[in-house]
Amino acid sequence: MAIINVSAGDEAVLVLGDSAANANLAGTAGLVVPRLQDITINNSTGVFRFKTLDNTAESAVTTPATNQITMNVVVDDVAFFGDESNADVVVQTGLFGASKNKTRVYFNAGFQGTDSGSKFLSGSGFISGLAPTVNMDSPVWVTPVTIEVDGDFANSSVA
Amino acid sequence: MATTIRTDLISALTTSLNTSNVSVSSELPFISGDTPLYVKNMKKLYLDEESEDVTELFNLLDNNDVYQTETTVNAYVCVDAKTQPGDISTVVQSVLDAKTSIANAVIRECSVENEYQDDKIIYTFEYRFITV
Repeated sequence: MAIINVSAGDEAVLVLGDSAANANLAGTAGLVVPRLQDITINNSTGVFRFKTLDNTAESAVTTPATNQITMNVVVDDVAFFGDESNADVVVQTGLFGASKNKTRVYFNAGFQGTDSGSKFLSGSGFISGLAPTVNMDSPVWVTPVTIEVDGDFANSSVA
Repeated sequence: MATTIRTDLISALTTSLNTSNVSVSSELPFISGDTPLYVKNMKKLYLDEESEDVTELFNLLDNNDVYQTETTVNAYVCVDAKTQPGDISTVVQSVLDAKTSIANAVIRECSVENEYQDDKIIYTFEYRFITV
């Protein structure tokens, strides 16, 4: 057992691609989302509660989860607006293009970096919630980004 | 030599004060013995070397952190307190206004303080700039 310390700078990694293969953490085809300020992975189940006459407390069961990845990033021009020369649609159109075009985005969210055996969550969904903002007190563009996950997370280790 | 905020200020002040009673010096260091040159050479504006303070603006998970640099430059001019130049208020305003000559800074500020030394009055200006 050990804590996962991300201070080395290469541990908390999010790779996006237009296919599961391109979003591979150890690959080079996808978009490694740069300049993450923070990242939150939500696996929030709903709860159904019910009462029975023979019980002094409510019973509960969980219902299917809402899965989301939310983050705040400092806007990088290539990551946000895309690299037209790239074959991967997500890299080509950037975060903004993938959001605007409602492109299905495959992701791998690494907790421990990209070395063999490192844990990560994967899945696919759609980018939403972009809201780039800047002001003179904080004169660098920053934006929240949400990946609305379609379906479940898969829990894996880097091969 | 690459231009610095100090050299840009000297350039702007030389232009804005060229018809005034105060001239601008780029000399460094500006101390002769124990006496600052701005006390010895009244009606001459001297600018000190820049001081810089680099702080983190955004601490990022990939360690590509974003930094901001706060640069301060002090300027000094001394005049006879009893017989001040007739345009001293214009000179002070021009020195304060020179802050706008610095490009690509998100904060451009300048303040002035004055103190008496014998029969002289010393104006001390502090320029403060923040760049990212």
